[in-house]
Amino acid sequence: MSLTFCIIFASACGVVLMRNPIHSALCLIVNLVAVAGIFAQLEAHFLAMVQIIVYAGAIMVLVVFVIMLLNAKQEEGSYSTWLIGLLAVVSGFIFVDMVGPLLSEGFPQSASATDPTVGTVEAIGRVLYTKYLFPFEAASILIMVGVVGALMLAKTDKGKQG
Amino acid sequence: MELLILAVKAFIVLHVALGLGAVCTWIERKGSALIQDRVGANRAGAYWYPSNPLLWPIAPFIRIAGMLGIINTLLNDAVKALLKEDFVPEGTSVFMHALGPFMAALPVFLAYAVVPLAPDFTIFGYHVQAQLVRIDTGLLFILAMGSLAVYGVVFAGWTGNNKFSLLGALRASAQMISYELAMGIVFVTLIIGYGTLDLYAIVESQQDGWGINPLVHPTGWLSFIILFIVGMAETKRGPFDMPESESELVAGYFTEYSGMKFLLFWLGEFAEIALFALIISLFFFGGWHIPFVELPEGMWWAALVGHGVLMAKVLFFCVLQIVIRWSLPRFRYDQLMSLGWKGLLPLSLLNVMVTAAIHI
Repeated sequence: MSLTFCIIFASACGVVLMRNPIHSALCLIVNLVAVAGIFAQLEAHFLAMVQIIVYAGAIMVLVVFVIMLLNAKQEEGSYSTWLIGLLAVVSGFIFVDMVGPLLSEGFPQSASATDPTVGTVEAIGRVLYTKYLFPFEAASILIMVGVVGALMLAKTDKGKQG
Repeated sequence: MELLILAVKAFIVLHVALGLGAVCTWIERKGSALIQDRVGANRAGAYWYPSNPLLWPIAPFIRIAGMLGIINTLLNDAVKALLKEDFVPEGTSVFMHALGPFMAALPVFLAYAVVPLAPDFTIFGYHVQAQLVRIDTGLLFILAMGSLAVYGVVFAGWTGNNKFSLLGALRASAQMISYELAMGIVFVTLIIGYGTLDLYAIVESQQDGWGINPLVHPTGWLSFIILFIVGMAETKRGPFDMPESESELVAGYFTEYSGMKFLLFWLGEFAEIALFALIISLFFFGGWHIPFVELPEGMWWAALVGHGVLMAKVLFFCVLQIVIRWSLPRFRYDQLMSLGWKGLLPLSLLNVMVTAAIHI
């Protein structure tokens, strides 16, 4: 698992440090797939598959398309204003605050490692449709609103399109 | 020992994928010749009369293989591709250019890892699963690898650094993403019908081995037809080969590829054809089960027979896809899109609803 952590860390650095936007996007794909690997190693196979299908397979394709079609140029020069520096310091503190407990207490044992029924498709489906039914449905309505909004924005000439 | 079994299994699974790809290539080459009333490849190796007497015993076999076009397809083409100049277009990233074919072929071969190729068996006291990994979400793994395969096409088209490549990549990725929706929904139908995502359990529940499983029977045929059409569209072949239509786009997204990189696209494509034939025979046609025949459980020879039966079914569907590809004319691109979004997607949604209503 530590190898996967290394891949995640290296690719996350690559996303920020790469000059060419398509290489950044590539690093992000590697990162997302590696996160799926972490899920798989924690015996949460369903989550791992969904991570690949949704993030690496669908969302990143859109990102790559945007980069390719807008023909994003290689980044030149550097932004070294004081605002960027300030933001970097603040986000660094937030990161340490988030990761600190993990480092001091060690990694929490995953629930699925002790109880094999937690990460399965059946268990997730049952929980989604009973305990978390309202958030699940609310999220789906939110996505629906997004789709309808995108359609409204994309549809410019009302006369021609049926 | 466990590790050794795993290594042997990985070797076998990879070579099943490669072998099916090679056989499909040969069927395509000779089959297209038959369909178009040509002779096809029959020269390379057909006149091999070696001067060394030690080689005389194998010479007739080589000559027959040469006459059948096997030498041409499997040996000459590979060697030619390896020796060709590896051309990289100017002004593009060499790394991304090399990544394209790998990203196109790798997910297809990875998807073979979760596909069971024979029933479980016991040999020398070891219980062997004829499947590289048995995860409880095998169905989703195939879908995930299918969604990753888009990148190869996208990168290949982008690094081609010309308009034809980019247009081909756009067409291919839009086509793959559109048809993936229908494929996912067909998979939902299967999950409802079989009640599991484990591919081995799906095949084992078709014990009678006869046609479409009775569990999904009323809607099973519809699922099969949708999945077959989607499979042809996902492999970017048959009447769905707009991304590489030579009359419009030279060769589409792989216009700028030569040598082994080009061959890798080709191999990935044929391995994908075989993969779709494999999952269709596993999902709908009983996998390794023979109708009305009960093979004994756990015997190694039964596993071998089962594997042979499965491969026979797979080859049938490969041939069917190739025959369709060489007998139907190409769609128009808008026809393709309307078939995917207005035809197959609502049909498969309806299929899910009917199946769910039956299984409530």
